[in-house]
Amino acid sequence: MAISLRNLSVDYSLPIGTAHALRDVSLDIQKGEMLGLVGESGSGKSTVAFALMGLLANNARVTSGTATIEGRRFDLTRPNATAPLRGRGMAMIFQDPMLSLNPVFTIGTQLIEVLRRRSPASDRKTRMAQAEDALAKVKLGNPKQRMEQYPHELSGGMRQRVVIAMALLSEPALLIADEPTTALDVTVEAQIMREIIGLRDRIGCAVLLITHSLGLVTEHCDRIAVLYAGERLESGSVRDVQRQPGHPYTRMLFDCEVPIDRERHADAAQNRFTVIAGELPDPRRRPPGCIFNGRCDVSFEDCAKVVPGDYPVAGNAAHAARCLRLVTP
Amino acid sequence: MTRWQRTAAFIATRFASVMLTIVGATLLLFLMVRLVPGDFASVMLGPRATPDLRAQIVHDMGLDRSLAEQLWLFVSHAATGNFGEDVVSHRPILDLVLEVIPNTLALAFSALALALVVGIPIGVIAALKPGSWLDSGLALLSISFITTPTLVVSVVLFLVFAIGLHWLPVAGAGNPGDIVDRLQHLVLPSVALALGWVGYISRLVRAALLDTLAELHVRTLRAYGVSEYRIVGLFALKLALVPVVSILGIGLGDLIGSSVVVEIIFARPGIGSLIFNSIAQRNYPVVQACVVFIVAFYILANLVVDMINALLDPRIAAGRG
Ligand SMILES: Nc1ncnc2c1ncn2[C@@H]1O[C@H](COP(=O)(O)OP(=O)(O)O)[C@@H](O)[C@H]1O
Ligand SMILES: [Mg+2]
Repeated sequence: MAISLRNLSVDYSLPIGTAHALRDVSLDIQKGEMLGLVGESGSGKSTVAFALMGLLANNARVTSGTATIEGRRFDLTRPNATAPLRGRGMAMIFQDPMLSLNPVFTIGTQLIEVLRRRSPASDRKTRMAQAEDALAKVKLGNPKQRMEQYPHELSGGMRQRVVIAMALLSEPALLIADEPTTALDVTVEAQIMREIIGLRDRIGCAVLLITHSLGLVTEHCDRIAVLYAGERLESGSVRDVQRQPGHPYTRMLFDCEVPIDRERHADAAQNRFTVIAGELPDPRRRPPGCIFNGRCDVSFEDCAKVVPGDYPVAGNAAHAARCLRLVTP
Repeated sequence: MTRWQRTAAFIATRFASVMLTIVGATLLLFLMVRLVPGDFASVMLGPRATPDLRAQIVHDMGLDRSLAEQLWLFVSHAATGNFGEDVVSHRPILDLVLEVIPNTLALAFSALALALVVGIPIGVIAALKPGSWLDSGLALLSISFITTPTLVVSVVLFLVFAIGLHWLPVAGAGNPGDIVDRLQHLVLPSVALALGWVGYISRLVRAALLDTLAELHVRTLRAYGVSEYRIVGLFALKLALVPVVSILGIGLGDLIGSSVVVEIIFARPGIGSLIFNSIAQRNYPVVQACVVFIVAFYILANLVVDMINALLDPRIAAGRG
């Protein structure tokens, strides 16, 4: 069953004014598919993830948005709308594995806690066996011993596997992975991606892969959505978008991306898009017209006045972009 | 090394440093006592003091020897548990101290236990809904507990429950053989001693919990649907207790200090009242022995605190906090 997100808008209240972090973002993910959500740092990717989970910061407000997951509709403007899905219908893998496990409880205790939620009726022994099994499935050696270990005894990659095991145990319909490899070594990146794909194939869930690496998207995803300053500028199958980007921003991203075969920086933070000239618009005051207008290399008069709609690219209904060029002969 | 070997090694090194600290503190103490003005012989003998009597007492207390000699005698005797004979009662000083120590320990531990049992839940409840009416109310309560001096609390409890309502005994520590009587005598003093600590602990727990709840691993548990009660009351609490326990260790000195006040008001035999009376008489050998015990207790208690923390947080025993 497909997952859909419609018209998600999120505001953050700031000491002065309100930042509009997301405006009318919509996404669709088919069962068993992986959607790559890409965008620069600060474009609002994590905000999408946490709005879906209902775990936004206290100063955030969802002003519009509905999600359909497992055939049920959730009004995201209601606080905790998706709380019943956490650990059951939805699971999440986080950006910083070094910080995402509790340092004073064993791996086993934390995995079993997920099962308390997922299968309340089962007893401790069954849960222990299930947790060990999950650790083995995500290729963590010596699962029995790992259960007794504390997070500080494991490397970042191993800890990320533990979180993937948690996701596996919760058997979600939607798995959200928010930059799951950004904080890790490049050598570990491929392994972690393999485990995420293994999880998807095992459970058949939909995956929302959040990343700023187009390389990961072109390698692993079926579809791509491009986020810029809180707006989704383009979406389509990876193949279509790569072959013929409908939005100048997407084209610039593909032009800038470090080729996959080129060596990456050891410092993960530096594996960003090469800079595109210009600055992000002020999130407190959206400029009129196209959000990308200030940095666009093919803009024309109307771009400063008219907000573009979501237009099909090359007559393909499954590939759309928000650019006036698409409807201007 | 296994985790248990690491924990054992950790405890062994801590214990060695504890022993050194006790020796150092004892030496310091010995010198300090001798710097305090006032002279035992004149205070004790008062107007009856004759040169002969004075000389006798000064000799009995060993004050006519050189400082180095006194120090050697004190240390070598203290090391074997011999603190000399009390010039007033003509009984071994060690006996005087050992006689009253159980009373003080009972008071301190019952007060601490009471403060933990009441203070931790208050802190947890306050942290569940920060900024709520309940939180503000509990903050007010805790802060008023902290700011009311133990002296005032003791006097009020004493006047209301012992003198006014006759619910609980007025003074003393109770009949040595009678547990119920002793417990009844313990109630008011330990409540008086615990009250400030209830406020203190609840504020500490609340602050440490709120810090912990902002950490990312809490978000992981929330994302996997773990209930807020289990997150706050179990997963975050265990981590939040580490700084709380450390601060408690430091605050134990204050607990003993306050117990002096409580023991005097409730006329409870204890190390507090023994020190108080001995200072009034300038009976330094007794004061000195009492303080050695208090220092040893304080340092051992901090060792226990470190061990509790090593149990709470496995990173401490592993050497990376
Ligand atoms: N709690 C917050 N308060 C205020 N602004 C926030 C908060 N969280 C995120 N933002 C802002 O919202 C925008 C989107 O952030 P985020 O979703 O984290 O982006 P990404 O994950 O794409 O890097 C950024 O401009 C960021 O500064
Ligand atoms: Mg992010």
